[in-house]
Amino acid sequence: MFALAMRSIRQRPGRFLATLVAAFLGAAVTMTFNSMHDTAGATNIDHASSETLRLTGGVVGGYGTLLVFFAIASTLTVNVRQRGEEIELLRCIGATPAQIKRMVVGESVMVALVGTLLAVFPAMLGGQALLGMFQDSGQVAEGVDYAFGPIALTAGFTVTLVASVGAAFLAVRRATRAATGGRAPRNRLRNFAGIMALVAGTGSVCATFASDAKNPALMAAPAYGAIMLSVGFATFSPTLLRVLLGWLGRPIAARAGASVYLTVHNMRQRSVQLAGVLMPLVLFTGLAAATLYMQAIENDAIKASGLTKSVEAKNLETLNLVVVGIVVVFACLMLINSLYAATSYRGQEFGRQRLAGATPGQVLAMVGAEGLVLTVTGVFFGTVAGIAGILPFNLIRTDSALPDQGLGIWLGIVAVAAAATLITSLATACRTLRTPAVAAVTVAA
Amino acid sequence: MFSRTSRTGPTRSSEALRLVKVTKVYGSAENAVTALDGVSLSLPAGSFTAVMGPSGSGKSSLLQCAAGLVRPDGGLVMVDGERMTGANEAELTKFRRRRIGFVFQQYNLLSTLTVAQNTVLPLKLAGRRIDRARTQEILTQVGLGDRLGHRPDELSGGQLQRVAIARALVTEPSLIFADEPTGALDLRSARDVLRLLQEAVRVHGRTVVMVTHDPVAASYADSVLFLADGRLAGRMTAPTVDAVAERLAHLGDAVGTRDNDMPMEV
Repeated sequence: MFALAMRSIRQRPGRFLATLVAAFLGAAVTMTFNSMHDTAGATNIDHASSETLRLTGGVVGGYGTLLVFFAIASTLTVNVRQRGEEIELLRCIGATPAQIKRMVVGESVMVALVGTLLAVFPAMLGGQALLGMFQDSGQVAEGVDYAFGPIALTAGFTVTLVASVGAAFLAVRRATRAATGGRAPRNRLRNFAGIMALVAGTGSVCATFASDAKNPALMAAPAYGAIMLSVGFATFSPTLLRVLLGWLGRPIAARAGASVYLTVHNMRQRSVQLAGVLMPLVLFTGLAAATLYMQAIENDAIKASGLTKSVEAKNLETLNLVVVGIVVVFACLMLINSLYAATSYRGQEFGRQRLAGATPGQVLAMVGAEGLVLTVTGVFFGTVAGIAGILPFNLIRTDSALPDQGLGIWLGIVAVAAAATLITSLATACRTLRTPAVAAVTVAA
Repeated sequence: MFSRTSRTGPTRSSEALRLVKVTKVYGSAENAVTALDGVSLSLPAGSFTAVMGPSGSGKSSLLQCAAGLVRPDGGLVMVDGERMTGANEAELTKFRRRRIGFVFQQYNLLSTLTVAQNTVLPLKLAGRRIDRARTQEILTQVGLGDRLGHRPDELSGGQLQRVAIARALVTEPSLIFADEPTGALDLRSARDVLRLLQEAVRVHGRTVVMVTHDPVAASYADSVLFLADGRLAGRMTAPTVDAVAERLAHLGDAVGTRDNDMPMEV
């Protein structure tokens, strides 16, 4: 089975690209931030420098790692779900469920290892650049040497491997059970995990109140909370979406054109698969809103305290935003990555619609309408998760109930989320539509 | 029940399908494969024609070119007296969905839609009015009047194919193309499907072109066209199972000795 897994990767490298990109980016971000711990561990480092490095590694590295974990897991779930046909074929020629499991899990281990190995060098460069920025802003002494050691490597490999193997195992278990004719597992584990994420998120957000306003790691708890809440919401949002479309779908579908009609019915039926795409969207919106607003609040609070008005303070503000920005950009890339993977596998479905008489324009309109519904849902839940992190942080940090920052950042986040969702799904669908409809329905994508 | 058959849209030509020197080549340069080599034929309205031939004879290419699913490399396709044109796929689709219905071996139904929704999808896509009573009537005709709310994964192969036939009939097309419609069905379901196709011709006045490799299926048609190496290799009217099988068995002989272009008047 391992040999089969290797051959499977060699023959169709394109299929594993989305997973590889996810593992690579995830490992790079994780290792970049965690190498700060390694750097801080040097023997001859002064206290202030070590403090800054450990804080960055702990706070941003911490929630960054959590984000990477869920992002990789959701991409992999999307990927394995698409392979039902191949799994069915293997079953027919005599592979036992355990063999199929070994093959798919073996593949994801390979892809995760390759992705992490490829990420080592870029992560070194990234970590060095990050250290350079800290030194330029005066937060870390000039003499500190960059180190890339066991902590970074352990974090990188552990996160990518655990996320890949866990997601692959769960997804393939589902696929093999469905193939053997038994009913698919009823999402009990998934619902349980979703509830646990919501509980953990709420707990983490509440933990903010227990911290001191001067605690430099104050941001960690609400950021963790926002991520966990995003994951929890993403787990349940497809169900909510299905209920909502059940109420509103009929009147909308009756009035609107054929494309919207297809969208409504598609999304109601495929709501479970949508979770894989909604996850990165909710994560992106939630995390971006939480961290960018918290950083803005933090910056303004420092400014208001009047402690420093120096050039260094300005540098510090910019630097913090850059650090947070890296994680936000990562979330956005993962969104694009999993949307691409999800859309490019729908060639057969598009082919059937075209054979039933849909013009390419109608198929695109349907994909566009789906993207719009996804964006609205994802942005809504992401914003709720983000606000849940922002408000406690703001209350503790500034003693005021509502933050002074305007809607500007939020509008920016929404614009990016909408653009990433719509452009990715439409461009991918456009590419998929180039295959003639007859070929698209017969050739399994 | 079948009073609507006369209401078959705009003026209908007496010739449902005409192909003039249609060629189709796959691949390029040295490894090019000629799937259709200048095929010309004409099918009258209200006829049921089976297209037969060995694997690789160009059956599917013929159907796909005639149906506008694939653009031929040369020649002319006329459906219902109108030349099939279309600068892009959208125009071709619009041409198709007004005049042509499809039935495929793999059904090609959308798994997210119910039986009734799948049936009316072509109307919905064309922005045409949906008549609930008419949908119910068509689905009752194909024996699925009590399955309107079921989804494709709750139906058997024979039932799926009957949904596909209902979907092909609902737009009242002049031409229905069927690509191995019984290829994946058991004997009983296959017979039901073939009778429905016959009914579409006899009762509704549609023209049916069916690609098949099964002599039994072909025997339900009014006439059979034989195809070999991308060219027409004969025609048989009022086919019987044995006659078709016999002819098919000796199709290779004709190809082997063929040098002339077999002028086919069909």
